[in-house]
Amino acid sequence: MLRIRDASVTFPATDGQDVHALDHVSLDIAPDSIVVAVGASGCGKSTLLNAIAGFLPLSEGTITLDGKEIVAPGGDRGVVFQKDTLLPWANVLDNVALGLKYRGVPRGERHEQSRRLLELVGLADFAEKPPYELSGGMRQRVGIARALATDPKILLMDEPFGALDSLTRETMQQLLASVWAKTSKQILFITHSIEEALTLGTTVVVMSPRPGRIVARFDADFVREFAESGDIGPIQSHPRFIELRQEIRSLIHLPEGARTGTLQ
Amino acid sequence: MTLAANSGTSSSSSKAQRAPSPKPRRSASTSTLGISLATLASLIALWFLAAHFEWASPLFLPSPVEVLSQFSAVWADGYANGTLLDHTLASLGRIAAALGVGIFLGIPLGLLMGLNRWVKGIFSVPIDLYWGLPPLAYLPLLIIWLGIGETSKIVLLSLSTFAPICFAAQAGVRSVPIERINAALSLGASRLQLFTSIILPSALPEIMTGLKIAIGAGLSTLVAAELIAAQSGLGYMIMSAANFLATDVVFVGLIVIAVLAFAFTSGMRWLEHRLIPWKGKL
Repeated sequence: MLRIRDASVTFPATDGQDVHALDHVSLDIAPDSIVVAVGASGCGKSTLLNAIAGFLPLSEGTITLDGKEIVAPGGDRGVVFQKDTLLPWANVLDNVALGLKYRGVPRGERHEQSRRLLELVGLADFAEKPPYELSGGMRQRVGIARALATDPKILLMDEPFGALDSLTRETMQQLLASVWAKTSKQILFITHSIEEALTLGTTVVVMSPRPGRIVARFDADFVREFAESGDIGPIQSHPRFIELRQEIRSLIHLPEGARTGTLQ
Repeated sequence: MTLAANSGTSSSSSKAQRAPSPKPRRSASTSTLGISLATLASLIALWFLAAHFEWASPLFLPSPVEVLSQFSAVWADGYANGTLLDHTLASLGRIAAALGVGIFLGIPLGLLMGLNRWVKGIFSVPIDLYWGLPPLAYLPLLIIWLGIGETSKIVLLSLSTFAPICFAAQAGVRSVPIERINAALSLGASRLQLFTSIILPSALPEIMTGLKIAIGAGLSTLVAAELIAAQSGLGYMIMSAANFLATDVVFVGLIVIAVLAFAFTSGMRWLEHRLIPWKGKL
């Protein structure tokens, strides 16, 4: 269980006006759930993820994972970045095995585990390739496999499909849903696409900028049956999907200042 | 080049282990090779013509045949207390020693300067100061301090190879993308693992570039130093020949230096291909 309590991140600005990237955010992420944070750019969703990953210190508040406070990056939180961060000098297999190597897992064993993960993301045939010979979507799949390799308690995904074309993006969403159905990891997923949020999230939190806050939270449990059925395609015509999309859209496009007092 | 790499990626039929772009690029490089060889041939032909019709006095411009015969004479009998091989080896030995010093001191110190504010603060000032000086300006000082022997020359050369290597290693550390470091940390890397598995390989392309610059700087400093103060080496041979207006021997020396420089450049290119085939990708 990831527990975020009153988390704030303030950046000092040059003009003296401090930027409240994150303002007293509280959120729980239960095991076996995908929480998707959606919002316009600057709403603090990436800041939130970076704080959970340990890349960024909180100015106020606490984040705990299974009761342990987060102070630095660590192997218990797998991160998938928007820009792929694979090592160009290592082949795909060694990239996936990197976290296991850091743990001192022997070569044969870590390669075996990594091959299994590559199978899970459908890249078993590309194990020996250097990452730069793969397409953008394939590289992100390697990134997901790499993050899963150390068996983290939570997977943090920072707009991982944001740079992909829409067709590849759909394939990746399908892949993530089926990976999730198989591994039942808790996931925090950041996106600026309302459709993506509702396709993937069992919980969707809507964030708003200046200061970065959570303005609404929706349970979208209907997502589970689609993920478990192995086909998330029809989800977009689910009545709840259409209803929530409208609601979230109106929340995000609300004029600034009119947001205070919206439901929590 | 990027285009070519991408098109290779999308059709990733597993044909060869690494075959993203060789086709268009190889044809491009062979076509330049042909042109370059033709240029070289024309230059030599022009030299033949110029010497044959004596456009310049043979004293200033010896014929290629003369230079060639002088080459074998210097090779076999020697010139200025040594055969051509002796002089070449003397020069190569100096530059190898200097590169060794530059690499073994420059890379670790540069890496440390990239990693630590204090190390950078302490060392950047003296290095910046001396690197701005032309090496030949402080050669006399080195000779006063260390004598006219090998030591002063190797120190001089080491100083000129050290700085570019050190700067490059430092720049290499600073060029590591922060996302790459964060990714490694979130995979549980320790500080040592972060350094060996991420920072060092990421800095390698910059270090190789620094090495190329160091070889260039070393070579020009070497010949200049030998022209001024030496009893052996290619620079010394050229200077001695020039004193006797033996222009053909001067040509022999120049050609050997040109060939050496070319060999160094090609060797570095080969090394880059072997060590960092991924340079500029991803």
